[in-house]
Amino acid sequence: MRTNIIKITDISKPGQLTEIDLQELAPLPPPYDDYRNLPGFKKLPKATMENLSDSPDGVLATGLSRPASKEEEERLINLFISGLKKLFTKENNWTFLQPLILSMEHCAKCQTCNEECPIYEESGHNEVYRPTYRAEILRRLYFKYVKPTNPLMRKFMQGDIEVNWELISKLFELSYRCTLCRRCAMSCPIGVDNGLITHELRKIFSSEMGLAPKELHEKGTVQQLIVGSSTGMNPEVVKDNMEFIDEDISERVGFKVETKWDVEGAEVLLIHNAGEILAWPDNPAAFAILLDAAGITWTMSSELVGYDGVNYGLFYDDVQLARIAMKHLEIAKKLKVKKIVMGECGHESKALGVIADRIFEGAVPRETAMTLIEDIVFNRGIKFDPSKNDFPVTLHDPCNITRAMGVIEPQRRVLRYIAPKFREMTPHGVNNYCCGGGSGFAIMSGHNFLDWRMHISGRRKFRQILEAFKDEPPGKEVPKYVCAPCSNCKGQIRDLIDFYGAKEKSGLYYGGLVELVVNAMVDIKDKFIDFDMM
Amino acid sequence: MILLILTYIAVIVFLYFNIRYGYKIASAPVHLRWELYPVPHEKGRAQYGGSILEEVDWWTKPREKDKIAELKVMIPEILFLKAIWEHNRPLWLGSFAFHWGLYILIGNMFLLILSTILGFFGFSINAEQGLIASIIFYLIKWLPIIGSVIGIIGGIRLFMQRIVDTDLRLYSSASHYFNIILITLIYITALLWAVTDKNFVNNSISFYSALFTFGNISSLPLVAYIHIYTTLFFMIYLPFTHMTHFFSKYFTYHKVKWEDEPNLPKSKIAQKVSEYLNYPVTWAAPHIGSDGRKNWIAIASTFPGKENQNEN
Repeated sequence: MRTNIIKITDISKPGQLTEIDLQELAPLPPPYDDYRNLPGFKKLPKATMENLSDSPDGVLATGLSRPASKEEEERLINLFISGLKKLFTKENNWTFLQPLILSMEHCAKCQTCNEECPIYEESGHNEVYRPTYRAEILRRLYFKYVKPTNPLMRKFMQGDIEVNWELISKLFELSYRCTLCRRCAMSCPIGVDNGLITHELRKIFSSEMGLAPKELHEKGTVQQLIVGSSTGMNPEVVKDNMEFIDEDISERVGFKVETKWDVEGAEVLLIHNAGEILAWPDNPAAFAILLDAAGITWTMSSELVGYDGVNYGLFYDDVQLARIAMKHLEIAKKLKVKKIVMGECGHESKALGVIADRIFEGAVPRETAMTLIEDIVFNRGIKFDPSKNDFPVTLHDPCNITRAMGVIEPQRRVLRYIAPKFREMTPHGVNNYCCGGGSGFAIMSGHNFLDWRMHISGRRKFRQILEAFKDEPPGKEVPKYVCAPCSNCKGQIRDLIDFYGAKEKSGLYYGGLVELVVNAMVDIKDKFIDFDMM
Repeated sequence: MILLILTYIAVIVFLYFNIRYGYKIASAPVHLRWELYPVPHEKGRAQYGGSILEEVDWWTKPREKDKIAELKVMIPEILFLKAIWEHNRPLWLGSFAFHWGLYILIGNMFLLILSTILGFFGFSINAEQGLIASIIFYLIKWLPIIGSVIGIIGGIRLFMQRIVDTDLRLYSSASHYFNIILITLIYITALLWAVTDKNFVNNSISFYSALFTFGNISSLPLVAYIHIYTTLFFMIYLPFTHMTHFFSKYFTYHKVKWEDEPNLPKSKIAQKVSEYLNYPVTWAAPHIGSDGRKNWIAIASTFPGKENQNEN
C-alpha cells in the first residue's frame, strides 16, 4: 500500500509535496551502491524556501520570488491564465498547436508512459516526476480556461484544479523536472506527448510571464543575441580563443592547424556549440584537422551568433528559438556556403536540422556532424590506425540526434571501424536514455539543482555507462571512454563523473567522436587523446 | 417512431461532431517538425530508427517512403494494442478485450447493414437460405454473444484495475468509470438480448431495415430497447470525450510522430508557413517585444534587449 499519495489537486496546496530521500532512489551498482558513501543531497536553507518558489520537491531550478502582495499574486495568476489561453491560439503558437491539442484531448490516463521515464523510475516512482503529473495539471487547466464547459460537467469529465500562486510556482518548477527526452511519447499507444506538454508549459512561463531559468534565458539566449554567444564570448574573444587553440594544437600535432573565418562560398559553414571552444578545445581542433585532411573548404563565422550553434530557445521559448535560427540562416546566406554543418551538439542539430526547417524553407541545407564525419572517415582517403584507440569505448546517444532526427548509424559505423573495443549501451539508438542534462539541465546548477540532476535525472545514464563497461576491470587501471557527440551531454557526463568520483573509482573518461577519429589518424604521431591530461 | 428519430439524431450528432473535430485538427496550422523516430516509412532504416538525415548531403538523395511499413506498425497497434502489450502488460488484457468487444460489435453492425441491403434485393438472411445466408445468420447470432462476453471481461477488468491500482485511480475522473460502465452496459444488454431473444437476428435486421426505410420497428424485447438506447446515448456522448482517439490517433501518428516532410522552396508547407509568419504575436513578456500588431517576422528579426543595450 502506498503511503505517499500525492493527488493532482495537491499542486494548489501550500508547501512541499515530496522530499528527496536518497534511500528511495533506485540503487546504483558497486562501488556506488551505498548511498551513505555518495555525495548527499543539499537541503535548501529555510529562508531560501520561504523567499523563493513553493518547490514541489525541495529542489529549486528556477528560484521564482514569492509575490510580495495579494495584488502581485493576482497579477501573476492573471498573466498565467492569459498565457495559457494564448498557448492555444494559432497566432501565438502555430508552431505546436496541432500536436498540443492532440496531446491535451486524448490521454486515456493509462499510465503506459510511466515506466519509460528514467526520472520517474530512478526517483523510486516519485509521484511529482510521473510524466503524466504535470501534463494532467495542464490538461485540467486547458479544460477549465481554454475549452470551458459547465463546471459540473468539467469536474465529471476531467476533474478540477485551482489556480493560485502555489500551483504556478510548483508547476514552473515541475516544468524543469523533465528533460524533454520524449521516451514517454514513444510508448504512448495514442501518441500523446508529455515531453511536448512540458515544453509548452515552459513557453507560458517564458513568453507570457517572462519567467525562465537564468542559465537558459539571461545567460543563454539573451546573452547570445546581444554578445554573440551564450558563453559570453564576443567575436573578438572567440577569434582569440580559436587562435590560441590553433597554436596549441599545431604544436601538439606537429603541423599547422588553422581555423578559417568568414570564407565566402565555402563548402561547409561549421557552427560549433561555443561551449566546446571554452570547455573542450580539442573538439573544434579535431574538426579543423579532419576537415583540412579531407580537403574540404570550410569556415566558421565571426559574426554575432554565427560562431555559436547553441539555441536554448528550443527548450523554452519559440520566439527566442526563431531569433537565433534566423541569425544562423542569415549568416549562412551571406557567406554563400553550400551547407551548414552542426558541430557535435544535439540540440543545435535538432534546432537547425529539423525544428527550424519549416522557417528555413530549404534556403541553406544543413546536416549533422555525424554524417560528415562518416563521409570523411570512409571516403576521403585519410589513413587510420584503429589500434591507436585501444581502450574500451561506449557511445552515448544524444536524444536530439537519435530520437528527434533518426541519425543512428553514421556514428556507429565510424566507431566500429576506429574503436576496436567499442560496445553499445543497453538500450541504445532511438531507445537510448537521456544523459539527464537534456533540455538545458546540463548548464543549470543553481541552488541544489546540481544534486538533483546528479542523483536523479542523470542516474539512469550513469548506471548505463557503468554497465557498458562491466566486462572490463572495474577500477581506474583501464581508462574507459564515453563517447558523447553532444556538448550538453558531455557537460552532464563530466558532472556525473566528477560527482561520483568515477574517474578515480572506475576509470571513466569522456569526450566527443571527432577526437577519437583524429586520435586514430596515422598522420597524428602523438596521442590526440591523452588520458593523463584529462 | 421515437426510437427511429433518436437513432437518426444520434447518428447525425456522432458524425457531425466527430467530423467537425477532425476538420479542426486537420486544418490546424502546419506545426514545426516534431517527428519521433523510428518513423516507419523511412525505407531500409525504420528497423533501427534511422532517417534520410543519416546521408551526407541528404537533400540531394531521393526520399524513399514505404507506406506499407506504416501499415505494418498501425495494424498491430490497432488490432492488438501493441504499445500497451510492450509497455504496460498488466493493462493489456483488459484493454484488448474491451476494444475487441467493440470491434466485434461494430463488425456485426456492418453485417446487419449488409443483411438489410441484401434484404432489399430479396436476399433474406436466415439459417435455411443457403450457405452464405446461413453463415451471415449465424455470424449475426453469435458475434454479439462472443463480442459482448469478451467486452464484459475487459470492462470488469479495466474497472477493477482503475479502482485497485493507485496509479490509475489517482488520474481517473468520474467519467473514466462512467465510460467503462456505459460501454460494459452496452455489452451486457447486447448479450442478454442475443441470448434471450429467439428472433434476435430477424429483430436486429428489421431494426436496421426500419432505419433505412423509415418504417415501423417490430416489437422488441425490453432488453433490446435498453441496449439500443444505451448505444445511442454512447454515440451522442463519445465525440465529447477523449475516446475520439479512435480517429485522432491518425493525426498523432501520421501528422506528428511520423511527419518528417522537409520544407522546400515554394512547397505547400513553405506557402503556409509564410502565411503564419504574418500572424501577429501577442505574447506579453518584455523580451518578446510585442505591441499586439508586430508579426512573427518582425518579432524574430529584432530583439528588444539588444536595442536597449545599443541605446545605452
